[in-house]
Amino acid sequence: MSRSKHDRLFLISFLPTAFIISSILVLFLIIFSSNSLDSIKMFGVKLFTESIWDPEKEVYGVLAPIIGTFTASFIAVFISLFFSLPLSILITEFLRGRIRDIFSSVVELMGGIPTIVYAVWSLNYLAPFLRSYIMEPLHMYLGFIPFFSCRPVTGFSIFTAGIAIGISIVPYMTSIIVESYRLIPSIYREACLGIGATRYETTKILLSLAKPAILASAILGFARAAGETTIAVVTIGNSMNLSPCIFAPGYTVSALIASNYENAGLYIYAESVLHASALVILFATLILSFAGLMILDRWRVKIVV
Amino acid sequence: MSRWRDVRDKLFILLVILMSAIALLPLLHMIITIAINGIQTIARAGIRFFTDIPPPPISRDIGGIAPSLVGSFITTLTSLPITIALALSAAILSTEFPSNPLSRLTDILSRSFASIPTIVVSMFVYALVVVPMNRFSALAGAVALSLISLPYAYTSFSSALRSVPQTYREASYSIGMNRWQTVIKVFIPIARKAIVVSILITFARAMGETATLLFTVGRYRVGVNIDIRAPTDTIPLLIFDFITTPFKVYHEIAWGAALVLLFIYIAIFITVKTIVKEVKL
Amino acid sequence: MRYAIEIKNLNLYISDRHILKNVSMDIEPNTIHVIMGPSGSGKTTLLRVINRLIDLTPNIKVSGEVYVLGRNVFEIDPYTLRRDIGMVFQVPNPFPHMSIYWNIAIAARLNGVARNKRDLDEVVRWALEKAMLWDEVKDRLNKYPNELSGGQRQRLCLARALAMKPKILLLDEPTANIDPVNARKLEEAIVSLKNDVTIVMVTHSPHQAARVADSVTLIYDGAVVEQGAASRIFLHPSNEFTAKFLRGEI
Repeated sequence: MSRSKHDRLFLISFLPTAFIISSILVLFLIIFSSNSLDSIKMFGVKLFTESIWDPEKEVYGVLAPIIGTFTASFIAVFISLFFSLPLSILITEFLRGRIRDIFSSVVELMGGIPTIVYAVWSLNYLAPFLRSYIMEPLHMYLGFIPFFSCRPVTGFSIFTAGIAIGISIVPYMTSIIVESYRLIPSIYREACLGIGATRYETTKILLSLAKPAILASAILGFARAAGETTIAVVTIGNSMNLSPCIFAPGYTVSALIASNYENAGLYIYAESVLHASALVILFATLILSFAGLMILDRWRVKIVV
Repeated sequence: MSRWRDVRDKLFILLVILMSAIALLPLLHMIITIAINGIQTIARAGIRFFTDIPPPPISRDIGGIAPSLVGSFITTLTSLPITIALALSAAILSTEFPSNPLSRLTDILSRSFASIPTIVVSMFVYALVVVPMNRFSALAGAVALSLISLPYAYTSFSSALRSVPQTYREASYSIGMNRWQTVIKVFIPIARKAIVVSILITFARAMGETATLLFTVGRYRVGVNIDIRAPTDTIPLLIFDFITTPFKVYHEIAWGAALVLLFIYIAIFITVKTIVKEVKL
Repeated sequence: MRYAIEIKNLNLYISDRHILKNVSMDIEPNTIHVIMGPSGSGKTTLLRVINRLIDLTPNIKVSGEVYVLGRNVFEIDPYTLRRDIGMVFQVPNPFPHMSIYWNIAIAARLNGVARNKRDLDEVVRWALEKAMLWDEVKDRLNKYPNELSGGQRQRLCLARALAMKPKILLLDEPTANIDPVNARKLEEAIVSLKNDVTIVMVTHSPHQAARVADSVTLIYDGAVVEQGAASRIFLHPSNEFTAKFLRGEI
């Protein structure tokens, strides 16, 4: 059959769009790799194994921000799961009709609130609250555990950032879990009802069916948290100090970049170091997002059979 | 034995409700405190909150957020045409020729932009636009916002186009329309409500971006700039800068600005929900 | 040109399933040719090959020749081909975002039948009259199709197809989803169109075929069972299967 002339022209008309979108990616790779090169050549592996930020002396090491990013994101996902799961169960198991719609809309609304708003609130209310009611007691009574071994002074710490970010990603993770729940064919739920299972037992069964989806949401939430900037800068304390204690101030890569990029041009290697750190975070987020989405897709295909 | 099952079930329900309430508590608290603190600020400043520029650090006068307010709208509105042009054409391509390699490439690229941390985008646009232009500008901010908005706009436009029943494609072909005519005269009009909703949500999200614009618009807040080639400020950037200072008046302004931002966001959200209710396809 | 449509040894596979088996058919101009048969025989598929709407189905393999107005449909641009062929679908599909007037006018304007307002008005009126819908909608041309009943919408679709001034009209079980009264009206309209177009109509009802056909093809399981002049086939079917179908036993 002849390939229509119209179709060919139609396809050609999209070349500009495809070109623009692909060249963005290409430019991106070029700019970031070329800009990172200098610092990697200069500092090598030490760049990622030490913790210093001294542009005057041109000494850099971004270990603390990298570890801080992962720690804070880990705490964030943990907290978020802790809240998202009950919320998801509430929405899918216990609410019906209009109430459910309203509730879902509220969660959706929360999910779109700009993160800067979370940052303002975290700075003024969450940090002091956490310091007084959670961090100080934990330090006092469980201070022998390395994680709690330092005294929280200002309330700005990796722990605080983790909790704040965690709260901000609750709507996001809830929506992934709820949507996945909805994909579970009703025959499974009917089967549970058919054997006389209670709400609790049904939920347990359905949750175990949804385990990959929940895992995927955790991974995607982690990626989200790792890329989060505003909340981190405001609550983490911005310190290159590396310590096992999560109540101490620390850094995330994005907070490091946010605080230092503007002035980085004044020094020789600072900009390059930041580009290199950005690449690290970029790769981490891309790989995690890819993994999370793949797990989700695979699960979706399996579950609908 | 079954008594225990019942009790356990009731405990479970209780636990879920309790934990859900705890989950929502911080979010509710956040909205309430923003409202209270923000209203206090705006009430004290009056209408000038929207027309004046920010005051010097040690000041009893609250001043206003006019440069940031105007800048937010200008930057976001400038980014919309760019986003729509790219996202809509990519969406049309992927709807018409889903298996074509060009289409698949555009699809993967558009969606993978979503995983890039926003601060990294800001660095990218700095190198791409700010450095060549040798200045910060609303235009740079608009470009950055478009990059951030592309993935969502692309997927929701695709969704909107795909929601048009296949029978209308057959109808338009049967009267001799080609693909472009079908897309422009039939598909897009039929899907217009979903498309409008996507644009509104894209707008709302762009208005709230902070990290994306950090190195692009220049945080210029001593005057209102309308020229997109000039530096400007946005509300989230203002809040970000002010809350990291030790000055009391700046913190007050930050609360007021946060309330304004929240208000704009909720207003768009409600508008969208109202439109969607009318769409019952 | 002896025949408006000629089909020679058409074989069609969808996802490797043999849907149309060596179909051959000749249709004379300005006649009503009915393709009839039980559900699932491939009648609609056959119809959609004629205007290459079959292109919208994925995974197809075709062999054989189909000539419409002397041209091989597989060798010309499908979008151009469809300008000479109008189609009415099983489920009425008037454009919901266009008024009754514009549903018809756009077909006319797109195909160069009319350009200015006056000519468009004329074509719209002509098409609606031929579709026997004019009296019912003449006062509300700027209203939208969702205000019309199913039967009226189908006649609107017929008017839209006619506004193209096509040489060929394909009707896919046009009365399947409308009430008997409207169905009769539609049939009347169809019969009256013979002088303007060549009509190919698909139906699963032998009674409807008997009412409107000049010639018929009976299809079962993708293959032609019997075909020829309507009068001959209805009175003296040469095939036991045909007889059974006409009696309503299949």
